[in-house]
Amino acid sequence: MKDPIIITKNLTHIYQANQSSSLRKAALVDINLEIARGSCIAIIGVTGSGKSTLVQHFNGLLRPTSGTVIVNGAEVNAKGADLLKLRQRVGMLFQFPESQLFERTVYADVAFGPRRMKLGRREIRTRVLNALDMAGLPHREFAQRTPFELSGGQMRRVALAGVLAMSPTILVLDEPTAGLDADGRAEFYSYLQRIKQEQGVTIVLVSHDMAEVATLADWLFVLHNGHLVMQGAPRSVYAQGDALQQWGLAAPPLSELLTLLRKQGLPIPSEIFTLEEAFSLLSKPLQLYQEK
Amino acid sequence: MNHSPLIDIQHITYTYPTHNMRTGEVQSAPALKDVSLQVQQGEYLVLLGHNGSGKSTLARHCNTLLTPDNGRVLVAGLDTAEKTHQRAIRDMVGMIFQNPDNQIIATVVEDDVAWALTVRGLPIPLINERVASVMQSVGISHLRGLPPHRLSGGQRQRLAIAGVLALRPRCIIADEATAQLDPLSRNEIVTLLHQLNRQHGLTIIQVTHLLEEAALAQRIIAMERGRIVMEGSPASIFAHLEPLRQLKLAIPEPVELAVRLRNVGRSISPEALTVEAIARELVP
Repeated sequence: MKDPIIITKNLTHIYQANQSSSLRKAALVDINLEIARGSCIAIIGVTGSGKSTLVQHFNGLLRPTSGTVIVNGAEVNAKGADLLKLRQRVGMLFQFPESQLFERTVYADVAFGPRRMKLGRREIRTRVLNALDMAGLPHREFAQRTPFELSGGQMRRVALAGVLAMSPTILVLDEPTAGLDADGRAEFYSYLQRIKQEQGVTIVLVSHDMAEVATLADWLFVLHNGHLVMQGAPRSVYAQGDALQQWGLAAPPLSELLTLLRKQGLPIPSEIFTLEEAFSLLSKPLQLYQEK
Repeated sequence: MNHSPLIDIQHITYTYPTHNMRTGEVQSAPALKDVSLQVQQGEYLVLLGHNGSGKSTLARHCNTLLTPDNGRVLVAGLDTAEKTHQRAIRDMVGMIFQNPDNQIIATVVEDDVAWALTVRGLPIPLINERVASVMQSVGISHLRGLPPHRLSGGQRQRLAIAGVLALRPRCIIADEATAQLDPLSRNEIVTLLHQLNRQHGLTIIQVTHLLEEAALAQRIIAMERGRIVMEGSPASIFAHLEPLRQLKLAIPEPVELAVRLRNVGRSISPEALTVEAIARELVP
C-alpha cells in the first residue's frame, strides 16, 4: 500500500495480562493490517470479536500487549508518544454517544472539545458552526437549542459534530447507527459520505451489520475471536456467505439471495453485487448449468 | 368474526404532555389520532412505522402503560382506564422492549424468570414447574445458573420473554425487541415469537420499523403521524413499494428485486417475501 495512515504489526492485546492465567483473555491475536489514507474501511465482527478493542488502539486508549501500532507515521506505544496530539488527530465516536451530551445548548456541547484545545474564540466559533452544518444540523436552527429535546438521530449527529469540531484526520465510529431507524441511518450515512468527500477524512467504521456499511466502506476487515479472518472489498467479502455465517455474521439479504441461487445452479457470476446488476441479469432468460 | 377480540381499541386519541424548558410553554402534538384496531386471540400482528409514527404509543395502550385521552381500549372486555383492572390486564398482555436489561432484575437467570411469580406469592412447586417449562420454551434452560450479564444480547432478550411468559399471558407485545441485536440474533428472536404463536396460540403484536421482520406476519398495520394508514396481509402490503417508501421504510433488496422482476413479466408469486421463498420462485 502506498500511503497507509494506520498500520498494525503483530498486534496482540490480552486483557488482565499481568494477572493469573485464568483471568487472562486474549482479545486480539497477531493482527496485521494497513488502512489507506482517505479511505473508508469497516471492521466487522460479532459482539466479543475484538472490534472495539482494536479501534481503541488507534488513539492510544489501549496499549498493545505486544506488537506495534503506527498512526500517521508515529508509533502509538513508543515512549514519550504525544497522546494528546494523537487523540486530537483520531476522533472517536463511541457507542450511543448521545448519552455523553451534557451541555445546555447544542453550541456549547460541540464547543467543548475545541475549548479544551485552547483555541481562540473566533476559531472555536468557526469550527463549531462548520461542524454543525457538516453534520446536517444547520447552525441557525440548532445551535441555541437544548440537545435533549432533539430526536435520537439528531442527538447522535450533535455528538458527531463534537468530534468533527476537533478537525480529526481519522474518524473512528463505533456502531454509529445502533438503535436508529432506517431513515435515521440513511441520513447519518449520507452526512458521513459528505464528510468523507469534502474533508478527506479517513473513516473507520465498527459494525456487526454488513448490510449497513455496504454503501460507504471500500474495504472490510472481518474479526472473529480476536483474529483477522478475512479482508477485502465488500463485493468479494459478501460472496463468502457460508464462511461469514460460520463467524456469526449475515451477508446482506441480496447477497444471501444470490448465494442461494448460485447453490441451486443458476449461473450468476461472482461479480454481481448490486440490485441493478442482479436485476439486469435476472430479467433476461437464464440457462441452468448443465452437468458436464 | 363472532368472537369478541382480545384487544379492542376504539377511536383513541393520545397526546404526550411536554413543555419547553426555556419558554415554559406547553406544546401539544397528538401522538395518536382517532385510532381503532381489533386484535383477535391467536393473531400475529405487526405494527409497522418509522420512529415517531405512533406505533409504540399504540402498543403501550394495550397493557395500560398509557391510557387514552379520548376513546377506550378493552382487553378481554376490561376497560384499561379502570385502575382496578390494571393488574389483570398486565398479566394478560406482557411486554418486552428494545433493551432487555431494563426488565432483568435478579442476579441469576432462573431467579429472574421466577421473579414475577414469587412476587405474586405462588406456591414454590408451581413456580419451579413454570420456570422450568418457560425456560425450555425459549431455549435458555442450559443458562439457568448464569448471571444475566454473562448472556449475549439475544439470550438476554430470550430471558426477558421467559419472564413475561411465566405469567401465562394471552398476548406478548414486542416493542422493537430486536433493534439492538445483530442480524442473526434478530432472526432467532422473530422465529421464537412465531413459534410461541403457533405452538401456544399466543397472540403476538410485534412493533418494528423493519419490513423484513413483517414478511411472515398474519396482518400488518402501518402507522404514520399517529394514524393507521395501511392494513393488510404481507403480500398485499409488499405489492406496492412506493407507498412503503413514502412511509420512510427501507425496502429489503430481495423484495425489491422480486417486484421489479415481476413487473417485467417474470412469474414470481406476491406471497414470496423471504430470501428462501424468492429463491424458490426464481429457480424453476
